[in-house]
Amino acid sequence: MSALGPMGRGLLGLLGTAVVLAMLGIFSEDLGLSQYLLVLVATILFWTTQATSWNLLSGFAGYFSFGQGAYVAVGAYSTAVLTGRHGVNFLYSIPVGAALGGLLALLIGMVAFRLRGLRGEIFALLTLAVPFILAAYARITDWVDGGQGTTIPLPNYPEWIADFQHLMFLLNLAVATLAVGLALGVHRSRLGRGLAAIHDAEDAAEVLGVPTFRYKMMAIVLGGVLGGAGGAIFALQIGFVAVESVFNLTIPLFVIIMSVLGGRTHWLGPVIGATLIVTLQDRLAAGGLSAWSAIIFGGLLALLVVAASDGLYSRVRANPWPTLGAGVGVAAVVLVTGTVETVTALLYGMLAATAVAIGAGLLRPARASAASASDASTMDDEALPRPTPVPASEGPLVACEGVSRYFGGVRALEDVSLTVDRGEIVGLVGANGSGKTTLVNLLCGAMRPTRGTIRIGGRPTAGTAAHRIAHAGVARTYQIPKPFASMTVHDNVAMAVMFGRDNARLPVARRVAARHLATVGLSRLADAYPSTLNLHQRQLLEMARAIAADPTVLLLDEALAGLSPAEIDDAVTVIRSIHDSGISIVIVEHLLRVVRGLATRVVVLDHGSVIADGEPAAVLSDPAVVAAYLGRQRA
Amino acid sequence: MRTKVLAVFVVAALAATTAACSKKDDGGTTSTPLVVGSTLSLTGAFAATGIIHKVAGEAFIARLNANGGLLGRQVEWKVLDDQSDTAKVGQLYEQLISQDKVDAILGPYATPNILATMAVAERHGLVLPHHTAVLAPQLTYKCQFPGWSIGPTPNQFIPNLLFDALATLPQPPKKIAVLTSQSGSAAFVTNGFGNDKTGLLTIAAQRGIEVVVNAPYPPTISDWGSIAAQVAGAKPDLVINNGLGVDTVNALTAMKQLGYRPPMTFSLFPAPGPLLGLGADSAGVLSVSIFEPNAPLISKAGADAQAIIDDYKSRATTAKIPYTAFETQAAASWNAWQILAASIKGAGKVDHKAMCDWLHANPVDTTFSGRLTFDASKNNFWAPTLGIKQIQNGQWVMVWPSDRAAGTLTGPTAS
Amino acid sequence: MITLQAAVTGALVGGLYALMAAGLSATWGVLRVINLAHFGLILIGAYLTYQVATSWGLDPIATLLVSAPALFVAGALLQGAYDRLGVAGFNSLLMSFGLLIVIIQIATNIWTADFQRIAPELNRYATGGLPLGRLILPTPALIAFSFAVVLIGGGYIALQRTFVGRGMRAFAEDRNVAAAFGIDHRRLGLLLGGLSGVSAAVAGMVFALSNSITPTTPYEWFGTVFAVVILGGVGNLLGTLVAGVGIGVLSGLVSVIWSPSTEPFMLFLAVILALLLRPQGLFRTAGAQ
Repeated sequence: MSALGPMGRGLLGLLGTAVVLAMLGIFSEDLGLSQYLLVLVATILFWTTQATSWNLLSGFAGYFSFGQGAYVAVGAYSTAVLTGRHGVNFLYSIPVGAALGGLLALLIGMVAFRLRGLRGEIFALLTLAVPFILAAYARITDWVDGGQGTTIPLPNYPEWIADFQHLMFLLNLAVATLAVGLALGVHRSRLGRGLAAIHDAEDAAEVLGVPTFRYKMMAIVLGGVLGGAGGAIFALQIGFVAVESVFNLTIPLFVIIMSVLGGRTHWLGPVIGATLIVTLQDRLAAGGLSAWSAIIFGGLLALLVVAASDGLYSRVRANPWPTLGAGVGVAAVVLVTGTVETVTALLYGMLAATAVAIGAGLLRPARASAASASDASTMDDEALPRPTPVPASEGPLVACEGVSRYFGGVRALEDVSLTVDRGEIVGLVGANGSGKTTLVNLLCGAMRPTRGTIRIGGRPTAGTAAHRIAHAGVARTYQIPKPFASMTVHDNVAMAVMFGRDNARLPVARRVAARHLATVGLSRLADAYPSTLNLHQRQLLEMARAIAADPTVLLLDEALAGLSPAEIDDAVTVIRSIHDSGISIVIVEHLLRVVRGLATRVVVLDHGSVIADGEPAAVLSDPAVVAAYLGRQRA
Repeated sequence: MRTKVLAVFVVAALAATTAACSKKDDGGTTSTPLVVGSTLSLTGAFAATGIIHKVAGEAFIARLNANGGLLGRQVEWKVLDDQSDTAKVGQLYEQLISQDKVDAILGPYATPNILATMAVAERHGLVLPHHTAVLAPQLTYKCQFPGWSIGPTPNQFIPNLLFDALATLPQPPKKIAVLTSQSGSAAFVTNGFGNDKTGLLTIAAQRGIEVVVNAPYPPTISDWGSIAAQVAGAKPDLVINNGLGVDTVNALTAMKQLGYRPPMTFSLFPAPGPLLGLGADSAGVLSVSIFEPNAPLISKAGADAQAIIDDYKSRATTAKIPYTAFETQAAASWNAWQILAASIKGAGKVDHKAMCDWLHANPVDTTFSGRLTFDASKNNFWAPTLGIKQIQNGQWVMVWPSDRAAGTLTGPTAS
Repeated sequence: MITLQAAVTGALVGGLYALMAAGLSATWGVLRVINLAHFGLILIGAYLTYQVATSWGLDPIATLLVSAPALFVAGALLQGAYDRLGVAGFNSLLMSFGLLIVIIQIATNIWTADFQRIAPELNRYATGGLPLGRLILPTPALIAFSFAVVLIGGGYIALQRTFVGRGMRAFAEDRNVAAAFGIDHRRLGLLLGGLSGVSAAVAGMVFALSNSITPTTPYEWFGTVFAVVILGGVGNLLGTLVAGVGIGVLSGLVSVIWSPSTEPFMLFLAVILALLLRPQGLFRTAGAQ
């Protein structure tokens, strides 16, 4: 068991659970398990698939989607049209449904992720519109639905499956196992870490080398495939597919509640959420309280958003014994009294565990411990692979030729030409709004110039994604630090190594990261989370993360803003040692004493144009510069 | 990680053992009630009609139990609310059948929901009497039994019925506007289903009637202004609204805003009350019905009928339903219940195979629709006794065919 | 002619959409709160109109005397709650979704799931129409349009001219700086939430004039109202009015030229295109995004 990595163990455990469940299902009658229990678990499995598939993009990467119903519908209609209207065996309809779900996801992703403005609420609304438009289309298209719906004939199944409900159970089990297995695999993989980085700070991730577009596409397509497969099976379950039965707001609402309740950042979260919510709804219906279920779930969602938006999983993880103990205890006690059904007793147990988890979390917010210990102390330079150097090239490291950038009518940069050579520290100064940050954004590839060419290492950057520009040797920090909040300081830096030119694996990346943490002096805070750091430490983290990518040019965007004089001196020392290690620096800064002290060359921007470029002393006493930036009277 | 895996195993084992230990003891003696399970749209979009079926069912059961119940057992009815949500219907019936272990089931309201239930019934091999499904070609399960008199091809039957009735007028309509709701039963009547493309549109063409407006609309439509504009502009002799619920009310209101009143209007499956609420604006509106509480029809239905109608009225009043008349919906419900009761009595036991076979071999006598026989080759849809009703003096009155009429079809009102 | 009539009626009905969208757009733009519960308030407004007209025999428009203050308070309380709990942006979308479901269920419990409609004898506006040449302007739609123009126009003027209005615009643009200038975001939020509630009351009243009300109606408004908010530009009141009218006209035209069943498809296609091509709206926004 220990020879397998954590992912291997997890998958094996998952497979084992699946086998146990399958056996319980197939032999349920012999074991005396009621049909009803089979149906309940099958429903839980269906929702596990949906919640897990939703969570891949929306939980892991933070792109909340309201459109899960679209994938289910596409899958359901695959079965409806193929099996219902044309008699194709349902076993073929399921992969078709999955493929179409994936295709739909691909389309949505291609369109939504290409446009940078589409995040947050706008993305959510776009995904909300997709099922509506598909429903409208289905209604008016005769071969799909035409408003009349389609009955699905009873499927044929082999002898060893006792009856229809057993078939549904096994199908849902198969797809759910696939879904959870995929989520498990993604969670611990590069893709998973990349998605987490996208969730925390997408722009920072992109310039760090995470291929954000590709990763988001992978997440959304996987989600679409799983959702479609689940939907195809759903059609079999309901037996009659009509627009009203597959296109409703229940599906997106439920998957959101389940994942938010269970925990969005871990693959187990949706499973926990699905189990709890489905059981709760079942018991409410059994108790004749279904009119209340709407109020309860709506209220639950509202409450969760406010009180426990990170979900149950991390809280149970933080306090495993009290929560599980409360759960098992309450369930056992209620069972023994024999006053209610078994499932109700289990529900009470689950609710007790939930209450304890949320309560404990509120009383004693304990951070989930870091996944594995960092062995920062035992670094061994010989054992670390040498970082791949940037291919050497003639000429300047960075060159801008006639670069302009307009935002609508605003000319942020106008015809800027400058170069950065090896070994330089270029100070970039100018008043607020002179275009300094825009220039930094252009240089690292976060934006494209409206006109002109930018070359990194001699090669033009036009048409190159920002994460590849990062691999070409440009790194930057942000004026307002954008750390990955869900990772430790150590892992933040390790991300840069993982997604840098070397594509290192996590253990190696961690060891390399330790070295860079030492350079900026953050070693003792390696296991802390960014939210516990002060501004100075966060700026140092920005720098560590940037240099961990082994750049040739580091762009520091007002890295000293808001620091005290002592902190500034500390930061300057760090910057010098970074320079000494062979990295050229472009430092955007207002503090002239720092610029004078550090820079080998100063470039002055005024209203988007370069008005001076040369030796610090000469530039800073140039009358034009004085007039534009320093003011008429020297202080 | 190991702890996690262990935990999962423990939970699974716990679940299995506790489930196994929890087998319930069913009594099976004849003194236990006979439970019939079903769902109804008690909330949501179809609730206005769902509640009618609830009251009708309760009235039937009270009567049945007063007369000794079924097979010497009192009958209980377990009704769940499906919230007019087709996706919930199947689950709820599964729950009724597998968990609550009801003895028999009855269908819910509205075609899509009934189709969803049919799938469940078929899996479990249960007899499914239902009251309101119209899409006969889709109802292929041989043990479903309709209580609504629509025949196996309503897409032909209804348009022909309507046009036959209108042909008796001195000036039958020559130009019609057809407004169709793109959902289940309504679209079927207009356009046919699958390979059978006959419907209102083709039959109108056959009879030389010109369709001047053909407007399918989504069931979620909220603005009737453009439809009203089209109809007002085209000036048809007859507006046919193949729709449900309050569609016709909304359509007529929107037309009135434009100062237009159709000479004649037909509404396929309206919620009975709201149209009457339009007062003078709805005078002369036509619809289909299997029964209306008009005196001649009541006396034809036999001695029981009046008592049933009065009992229903008092129950409906207590339940604060806006419309308390026992009419087509309630009658269909009564048919379905009578079919169920007859099958159980006929088979002599609660054995669904026996019940199904009995129904195929024997006729069922119903109070409001006469003698019904079920032919599996026609999907059990018996020869229809559907008629046309019209709003006259603020009441629905059956006007066609003449042998089942209580009044005469009146022609267009002056607009 | 038919097409023109459909377009004109659509334009007027667009006033209703604009009324529904205005409150949502305002709180979204200024306070960054996407309040789906706004739809619930519109529903309550419609039911209050129905109930007051039916129980007390008041003219439907006069029922605003009851519903407007009630929904002012409700809107302010809601906004106060969001503010207190620090809920904004995406979280507000989720939380308000939950609240909307609760409101709909409560409405079902009080007024049943049946279709409710103001009786014709109490509602003299339902079936009237104002002739204008060869066109007719249906009365309820005309009322909707008039209220929309008055409310939105008034709101716009208030934003431009009054101190409070300017405070709101400042807040929308840069809340930190505005706070530094003494603009109290809490009071502002309450006021805006309350005014939003009033707009919901008016929208509900107008809706009740010519429609049957049932608790699940709000779900049918989602698509159109969000289309109006997005196309008009979040936070841009005048844009909302123009977008509402535009969408109304588009709906009417599509219904006549193709068929009413194509209309939802076209509408959502337009929304998706708008979201993709110009998520900041078709018009210049008043405040920062």
